[in-house]
Amino acid sequence: MTFSWKRVNAILQKDFKDFSRNSAVSIIIFLPIILAAIYGRMGIDSLQVHFMTINMAFAMVGTYVQCCLIAEEKEKNTLRGLMLSPASTLEILGGKSLLTFVLTIVVVFFSAYLSEYRPASMGIVAFAIILSTLFYIGMGTLLGLVAKSVMESSVIVLPVIGVFTMGSFITAWTEKYPILKVAEFLPNIQLFELAEAVEQGAGFVQVFSELGIIGIWIVVIFALTVVVYRKRMVD
Amino acid sequence: MENAIEVKGLAKYFANFKAIEGVDFEVKKGEIFGFLGPSGSGKTTTIKILTGQLDPTEGEAFVFGENVSHLKNPKARKRFGVLTDNSGLYGRLTIYENLKLYCELYDLPLSKIDEAIGFVNLKEESKKKVATLSKGMTQRVVLARAILHEPELLFLDEPTSALDPVNTLHIYEGLRALNKKGTTIFLTTHDMQEADTLCNRVAFLNKGKIRLLDQPNKLKKQYADATITVELTNDEKRQLRRDAAGAEEMYQLMKDNRVVTVHSNEPTLGDIFVKVTGGELV
Ligand SMILES: Nc1ncnc2c1ncn2[C@@H]1O[C@H](COP(=O)(O)OP(=O)(O)OP(=O)(O)O)[C@@H](O)[C@H]1O
Ligand SMILES: [Mg+2]
Repeated sequence: MTFSWKRVNAILQKDFKDFSRNSAVSIIIFLPIILAAIYGRMGIDSLQVHFMTINMAFAMVGTYVQCCLIAEEKEKNTLRGLMLSPASTLEILGGKSLLTFVLTIVVVFFSAYLSEYRPASMGIVAFAIILSTLFYIGMGTLLGLVAKSVMESSVIVLPVIGVFTMGSFITAWTEKYPILKVAEFLPNIQLFELAEAVEQGAGFVQVFSELGIIGIWIVVIFALTVVVYRKRMVD
Repeated sequence: MENAIEVKGLAKYFANFKAIEGVDFEVKKGEIFGFLGPSGSGKTTTIKILTGQLDPTEGEAFVFGENVSHLKNPKARKRFGVLTDNSGLYGRLTIYENLKLYCELYDLPLSKIDEAIGFVNLKEESKKKVATLSKGMTQRVVLARAILHEPELLFLDEPTSALDPVNTLHIYEGLRALNKKGTTIFLTTHDMQEADTLCNRVAFLNKGKIRLLDQPNKLKKQYADATITVELTNDEKRQLRRDAAGAEEMYQLMKDNRVVTVHSNEPTLGDIFVKVTGGELV
């Protein structure tokens, strides 16, 4: 498999120009930041609230924006053009993810900054956030590839965003409905548990299982994405 | 000479519908090959199979001697260029920006962009956003993108369907020049005139099958009826057979000084098509 940064960078630059001229989608990245600023002003300092804004950044930027960008490439038949060019699967999917990756990290950073979240271990939390970003972008790409149009993509992305941001509410019900215990394996719950552990002084070794579970999610979602992408290469 | 394209017993079914069936042909390197047929006859389907966008149901297709399944290898895709009705452009980017992306994907110097823009006669519009372009302009940008890397093989699916006559001629000239430099061209069209002026050989496709395949001139000779039309001084038009009786009559007419014009009745490709398929062109 070939891999050239030049081609990845060409797709990134194209996406940046396109995104900055697409105000309907680009405006979305400000929502989590505004929410975080409001919470910060209100002086609410609970891990729950910090992660509500971080999850929103993941869902809105990592998944929703990514899903729209991919679905538009499909709808406008520009993805076909990329597929017929010498760019490989990895270069196309990598190039198509790089912009949202950077945006998600920046938005999470600003949200955390504004809501005054100061983790006990910056290193661990930052690493976990980067891993989570990969998962949410993978999910956005997958949904964008599955959707038949931009319209459809914004509809199917909603319930998915719901599950992954409301996860912390689901866990509150687990006493009553034990079946919901599986929800504890959701990457957002794992991230939250990791953050809690970090506040209690946990190091990398103590949060290994949380990182591992998030890692498994990434592998699964990336594998699915590549399979669906390859299918889309032939009509 | 090696073939650029070789197709053997190709068939594509969509559910039970046979879009193409038992299609055999080859395109020689350096040829301009015309793939003609009415709407829905399977032209685009064939191009999609040849460019790896669609898997055939039956049969085999080879491009440069390799099975089309090899086109999943990105390097192999450098050798051809494609223009089809599903070739998309980025509407929020300018013509120049769209072509720049492809220049970088193909690892070409940026000077190729201006060359390609000149090829399709869009120098003055190069800073316009693609979403604001007319249909014919958009089609020309897609063509510019297809020829940007001067591919060895060019697939053109109705490349001039939205163009005015001046631009059409400009594109013909460009395509001929490209062909002279060595690009093999596989072209589909409804336009029989276009096929006649551009193509070395043409195949007539109807209802998913090839009905005829030859050089335009040979087809025209083959389907010429044995008559000539003579226009007389009294505006009368007379059909004469090209035999002894016809010669006798012609002799008499010329002797009486009544002949104004003489035409051989060779059919156009369109006439032949109608004859072979028993249908009208759409
Ligand atoms: N994805 C598909 N699913 C079902 N049927 C299809 C599909 N693609 C093409 N067909 C059918 O196959 C036939 C051939 O289509 P194709 O697009 O190849 O025609 P064409 O010769 O390119 O026509 P046109 O000149 O209008 O572009 C048509 O009847 C079309 O409806
Ligand atoms: Mg077609």
